[in-house]
Amino acid sequence: MKIKLNVEDSPRIKELKFTLKRIKETPLSLVGLAIIILFTIIAIAAPVLAPPRFGRDPYIIPRYGYFPEPQPPSPEHPFGTTEGQYDLYYGVIWGTRTAYRIGILVVSVSALIGIIIGSLAGYYKGIIDEVLMRLTDIILAFPGLILAMALVVAFGPGLNSITLALILVGWPTYARLIRGEFLRITSEDFVEAAKAIGCSDFRVIVKHILPNAIFPLLVVASLDIGAIVITAAALSFLGLGAPEGYADWGQLIALSRNWITGTADNPFAYWHTYTIPGLFLFFFVMGWNLLGDALRDILDPMIRRR
Amino acid sequence: MSRKSVSAISKVAALIVIVVLIAASVIGLGAYMVATAKPTTIVITQPLIETKVTTLTQTRVQPGTTILETVVQTITTTPTTAITTTTTPTKPEIKNPNIMIEATIGEPETLDPAWAYDTASGEIIFNIYETLIFFNREKVDQFIPLIAKEVPSVENGLIKDNGLTIIFPIREGIKTHDGGVITPEDVEYSFERAMIQERDGGPVWMLLEPLLGVETLADLGNLSNPEDAARIGEMIDKAVEIEGKNIVFHLKRPFPTTTFFQILSQTWSSIVDKECAIKHGAWPGEKDNWLEVFAKYHNPEVPELQDADCGSGPFMLEKWEHGKEVSLIRFNEYWRGPAKIERAIIKKVDEWSTRKLMFLRGDADIIYVPRQYMKELEGAEGVRVITNLPTLAIDALFFTFETDPNSPYIGSGKLDGKGIPPDFFKDINVRKAFAYAFDWDTYIQEAWMGEAEHVPGPIPKGLPFFNPDQPKYEFNLTKAEEYFKKAWNGEVWEKGFYLEILYNVGNIPRKTAAEILKENIESLNPKFKIYIRAVEWPTYLRAMVKGQLPVFLIGWLADYPDPHNFVHPFMHSSGAFSAWQKYSNPRVDELIEKGITETDPAKRRDIYYELQRIYYEDTPSVVLEQPLARHYERDWVQGWYYNPIYPGIYFYALSKGYE
Amino acid sequence: MSTGLRTYVIRRLILLIPTLIGITILIFGITQLFDPVERASLYITNPKQARFAEEIIKKYGLDQPFYIQYFNWLSQVIQGNLGWSQSLHMPVLEALMTRFSATAELVLYSAPLIIILGIFLGKISAVKRNTAIDHMTRVIAIIGWSLPAFWLGIILLAVFYGGLGIFPPGRLSPWAEAMIRSGEFKVYTGLYTIDAILNLNWPIFVDALSHLVLPVITLTTINVALIMRVMRSSMLEQLSKTYIIAARARGLDEKTVIDRHASKNALIPVITLSGLLTAGLLSGMVITETIFEFKGIGYFAAHAATQLDIPAVLGFALFAGIIFVIANLIVDILYAYIDPRIKLG
Repeated sequence: MKIKLNVEDSPRIKELKFTLKRIKETPLSLVGLAIIILFTIIAIAAPVLAPPRFGRDPYIIPRYGYFPEPQPPSPEHPFGTTEGQYDLYYGVIWGTRTAYRIGILVVSVSALIGIIIGSLAGYYKGIIDEVLMRLTDIILAFPGLILAMALVVAFGPGLNSITLALILVGWPTYARLIRGEFLRITSEDFVEAAKAIGCSDFRVIVKHILPNAIFPLLVVASLDIGAIVITAAALSFLGLGAPEGYADWGQLIALSRNWITGTADNPFAYWHTYTIPGLFLFFFVMGWNLLGDALRDILDPMIRRR
Repeated sequence: MSRKSVSAISKVAALIVIVVLIAASVIGLGAYMVATAKPTTIVITQPLIETKVTTLTQTRVQPGTTILETVVQTITTTPTTAITTTTTPTKPEIKNPNIMIEATIGEPETLDPAWAYDTASGEIIFNIYETLIFFNREKVDQFIPLIAKEVPSVENGLIKDNGLTIIFPIREGIKTHDGGVITPEDVEYSFERAMIQERDGGPVWMLLEPLLGVETLADLGNLSNPEDAARIGEMIDKAVEIEGKNIVFHLKRPFPTTTFFQILSQTWSSIVDKECAIKHGAWPGEKDNWLEVFAKYHNPEVPELQDADCGSGPFMLEKWEHGKEVSLIRFNEYWRGPAKIERAIIKKVDEWSTRKLMFLRGDADIIYVPRQYMKELEGAEGVRVITNLPTLAIDALFFTFETDPNSPYIGSGKLDGKGIPPDFFKDINVRKAFAYAFDWDTYIQEAWMGEAEHVPGPIPKGLPFFNPDQPKYEFNLTKAEEYFKKAWNGEVWEKGFYLEILYNVGNIPRKTAAEILKENIESLNPKFKIYIRAVEWPTYLRAMVKGQLPVFLIGWLADYPDPHNFVHPFMHSSGAFSAWQKYSNPRVDELIEKGITETDPAKRRDIYYELQRIYYEDTPSVVLEQPLARHYERDWVQGWYYNPIYPGIYFYALSKGYE
Repeated sequence: MSTGLRTYVIRRLILLIPTLIGITILIFGITQLFDPVERASLYITNPKQARFAEEIIKKYGLDQPFYIQYFNWLSQVIQGNLGWSQSLHMPVLEALMTRFSATAELVLYSAPLIIILGIFLGKISAVKRNTAIDHMTRVIAIIGWSLPAFWLGIILLAVFYGGLGIFPPGRLSPWAEAMIRSGEFKVYTGLYTIDAILNLNWPIFVDALSHLVLPVITLTTINVALIMRVMRSSMLEQLSKTYIIAARARGLDEKTVIDRHASKNALIPVITLSGLLTAGLLSGMVITETIFEFKGIGYFAAHAATQLDIPAVLGFALFAGIIFVIANLIVDILYAYIDPRIKLG
């Protein structure tokens, strides 16, 4: 698909088209994009690929008995079962939806909060900046995972708690980022010009500064989606996440944790329990990381055109 | 930073990478070569035997002693292999000879015998301290004298006044780890100190019950009131006294002697060296100002002997690395002769995979194996597993008779199909319906791999006065439906209901039980909805304490092997669990109180049989199972035997070697 | 140190106090989300003890208002007493100190490896941009970053320890621990590799090192991408700057251009990140420590958090705060050292 650069396009559109062109040209970003599209299809098609039982919450994996020992792949269970006989195939398919839910929700909300706070701090500077930055400092100083753990324990384990906790722990990074960009940009001429012609603060921030400040945030956000999904999986692994039997990759890996050493004669007897959800998690995260990494090159104004 | 250093950095980086890779390979290779090549294995499985390794044997009926019935019951669906050992022709070299390593989860809370109520603490304490008498190996109702010279009985005249006075002559010359000797003063001190400390949630109530007739000192008066304090102090003083070289216990009221002996054989009755304890800041032993004594030493936040070893047992505390391990070292001057191993180490290894690998590599000699992962050790070399060990624990489903109306777990709080009223379970029909809806076969076969017993009432099998013929509930969906239709005059069936069952995160059998119940009940009527929720322990505790759980799944592990210890928490109106339920049956309370003050075993038997019958009829709770345990050890471990009341491994009995 | 630098450092250290107070108030705030009964669960580990909930709440003052509890805690801290950790059954201060050495040893080997490797890969990647090497290094780094730490760790453990019997979990083998217990081996720092050198004990050195291999590999694999990525984009930015073009125009060989000019300037953001990374490692390696039985600070804090051991979590918060501020301080000082244009304060 060729993207034509038309001389009459407004600068914004021109830059956008250039970005898309560059994405097309970078093999890494294309691979990342392909992976993401694949997972998106899986997520959307989940009800078709793994039909839920009637009248049940589709996120609860159907179980076929109560025996602890995971069963290897078979015609009835293409990916086998986990500890407690939950169908692994169903779990990883619907787990894709869960991953998207968590990743996108956490990243977009924390980015939003970060943008608001960061732009206020970076635009108005002075006392507002000091206070807001102290606040972000305090949250950043404490190791994120542990703070998230404490919050999840307070809210009660579950995906909603994880989402909330990760948002609360994640927004300071975005705030810092946006603030930095704002500090850099606010002293530029065009901002002065906009103010001089009487634009309201709000307008200056949203229409003038933000579109220029947003790029590093986009890069971080795309990389963050992967990181958030891993962190959520880690929390499930530590027992603070989705309850057992919920379609969540981290929870599935948690279920496999104690079977990793296999049986006496076959150390890999239960390979499917940790390999399959692990691979899903790994590729999902890698897709977003590849895209984010490539975007970093493409969007950075300093190296974009070289 | 100079220009040279930047390029130097990249060179250094490359070098480091290469060095690390080489080092890793070298170390790895070296270790690999050192690790012995796997010998060919021969699997020796003893033919399917149907007897158990250990049984609780019958004893003759004597006044003051109790009968224990045998426990041999075969479970037909799984082979009852007694011992399976997979051996190799060339036996692997014994790792860490002279050191016994146990890897388990959890760690002790304290080493103070008066404070400790958890099994992890108990395990350490009963290896470094000693009691007046102790269980005779596997027996829970036969005793050997330890600190005491003789086990009191009516025949030898040491039990008098119908069991109200019990005399223990004290053995002389028992050395303590601290360099002293055990005297009758130490014995008196140990018990008085324990009763003075009486911390909230501690084990001392078991001493208070027989000696002072109450469960807590607060029942006797106010400790901050000078008169009360003096009076209570005197009662404590009189309960245990020295007469020459003997210690005399004065019981407040009749109490079955065997039960009292069982209490005296456990860690809260450990004999503490008085001088050593005082060195650690414990009560100096003065009795003139009780008000002050209680003010200073009653219910402290941290007990004085938290990290201390003031004992005389076969092992001494070498080091307690909190959160990591406890290491015990042999006490060479132990009065019964030194132990056969030099060191015992109890390591805290929470991660199952790591624990298992340590076990297979020989870096751990005994490990705790969660039931679900048993399969992973099947056929493993050098491993000895002993199965079907009867435990003294009961898990049950409890109904709350009056739930907190604001509970978040009862839906709308009304019988409108979207919730349940707070007194939902007051109707016996509801309780019976739930009971008939539980599928014991599936539960025991699948969640417990067949290694559990379905017992009728709160008294576990193996304890005296267990009624093997007591009728119990069986899975019967027709009956369940029948009772649901009768419940609340048919309203339950018509309108349906919604409630939530909570379980503590990580407790798989409880979760499975909840799910089985849910599946079965929901299959009867689409208007029946049960939601199962996993919560962390703090939340669970809160919900329980505030009476918010309409049903709760919980278990009881015996404090001492007597039926009183089970009927009380399950049925008495102020019992540990029944109080939460707000269950109260005056006849039951009366019987329970009679049972623990009756010394005639025949009369006790009648009482407990009656209680088991009432339990079935009233159904305040439904017993889910009595678990059977397994013990895993390396085959070079010798001397282990099973006593269900032991809090852990008794290292004095063990040695390391091949037979 | 020049007086300017000294005052700067002192000023920054004084700023430590409001940060610490802020952190601890934040944590305390979170604890207020808990009902006193829930907080009592720290002391009630067994349902048998549940009926004493009321008494225990009163005993430990769990139902007192927020500011009273905070004030009590604060006044204790000022006197040097960080309180008692119920989940670990030892004083909080002692817990922090004994656990710190495990984490420190891990960081001692991982951080330099991550940083140096990251810089190396980032530089190569930037210089050979869009070639096969660039793509390869980026993909490798991204693979590392995409691996869940717990997954990688357990698989490594299963393969090496489970399969081959080498590189065990924990810090030392039982025979080495026996040597420590018997006093033959003296522990000076708590970092066993260093202590082994001080004791001139080669076998224990090798043993400690073999226990470090897997956790260090896990940490490095996962984190190297972080440093590599920043180094790369920073280098690219430098290489596109006009002064580089000028240097090339002047006829300087490529090597000098890269090493003498571009790399030096490119390191600035890398230093920031390295500082934050090290600080993060020191306080937050929960997963790695859990899986490899390396009972360090991260593991301790996570354990305390899930059990609602408030004094322990607060003590840890102080510790993390201090590390964070000091790391930032060191980073800022290094900045000024490298780039004379950056003035402190």
